[in-house]
Amino acid sequence: MAWETTEPPARDGPDTADVARREHAREDAREERTGPVAITRHRKDDGRLLILYRRTGDQQP
Amino acid sequence: VSELRFNELRGEEVVYAIHRQDRTFLPDREHCPLDPTRPGKPQTEIPFPAFEIAVFENRFPAFEAPQGAAEVIVYTDKHEGSLATLSPQRAEALMWVWRHRYAELGARADVRYVLIFENRGVEVGVTLHHPHGQVYAYPFLPPVPERELAADERLGGCAVCALTREELTHRTRLVYESEEVVSYVPYAARWAYEAHVVVRSHRASLLECEAGELRSLAAALQALVRGYDSLFQRSFPYVMVVHQAPTSSVPEGPALAGHVHVEFYPPLRAAQKLKYLAGSEQGAGTFIADTVPEESAAALREAIALVA
Repeated sequence: MAWETTEPPARDGPDTADVARREHAREDAREERTGPVAITRHRKDDGRLLILYRRTGDQQP
Repeated sequence: VSELRFNELRGEEVVYAIHRQDRTFLPDREHCPLDPTRPGKPQTEIPFPAFEIAVFENRFPAFEAPQGAAEVIVYTDKHEGSLATLSPQRAEALMWVWRHRYAELGARADVRYVLIFENRGVEVGVTLHHPHGQVYAYPFLPPVPERELAADERLGGCAVCALTREELTHRTRLVYESEEVVSYVPYAARWAYEAHVVVRSHRASLLECEAGELRSLAAALQALVRGYDSLFQRSFPYVMVVHQAPTSSVPEGPALAGHVHVEFYPPLRAAQKLKYLAGSEQGAGTFIADTVPEESAAALREAIALVA
């Protein structure tokens, strides 16, 4: 199967708007848990859901 | 937006997702959309400089709300590697991610079946090697899980439990065992090196698995993929699919049918030979196999033991 997502439009060099968007995404984040894994939800620029999972090391039901 | 059309002759749905025709194809290494976003570099699908596991909605989805969903699961922010080369801790975390996506998508009223899968290798059409899998949440019950439910009915109970008991009795097709998980080449495997990785206790889905079972499942999957890679001393292509209970049967409680297991469909029938789905497979729906499951299992068992 071919790759199913697209890369975003290429931009040249650092972009302050890009940095702002990342900060905005972080501000929107809220943390949950699934077992030993922490869940942080974000919204991408185009509104699509992005979830980051991070192992915490401790177990939680 | 995709369109569903029911194919009367086959008795199955066909999904028309014509917007996917324009999806990115063969991006070069420097533009991998699954890499983290490096400072000063173009933004990828994950706008963070580092991450462990990431899930995002597919930009060109086969399914989307209110008729299902399509997501991408990125196993690591490292571009190289595979399920086999993840740390055991990361592989275990991936099981929890699968469990979470099954629970969340399966709870939606528009989702009747959650399919978690990975396509690996150019032989099955992959054009990006960054370790990742996908999730399709179907707004209908697809034919394969429907047949599994029919098998339960035909055998008068859980078919996976019954078949696994048979494999554990005969033992000739077993390739890996732990206290909680067993892997085998099934009696009537369709692919030369097809393998099923099964949680021994009856668990309809990952939601019912205990933490130790998820850890054991991750270990078994990694052992199998390492064995595959060792078998012909090459990266072994496969389609890997997590089979679980239809979510439409679990609106508020445990599933009534299904047994969580992971099936691998590798297209290689020899080191340099691919199995193609040709006349009999496509026209009659009958697989013609070139190998015997017992011999494949023996080779795979040896390969797994070699890299354990």
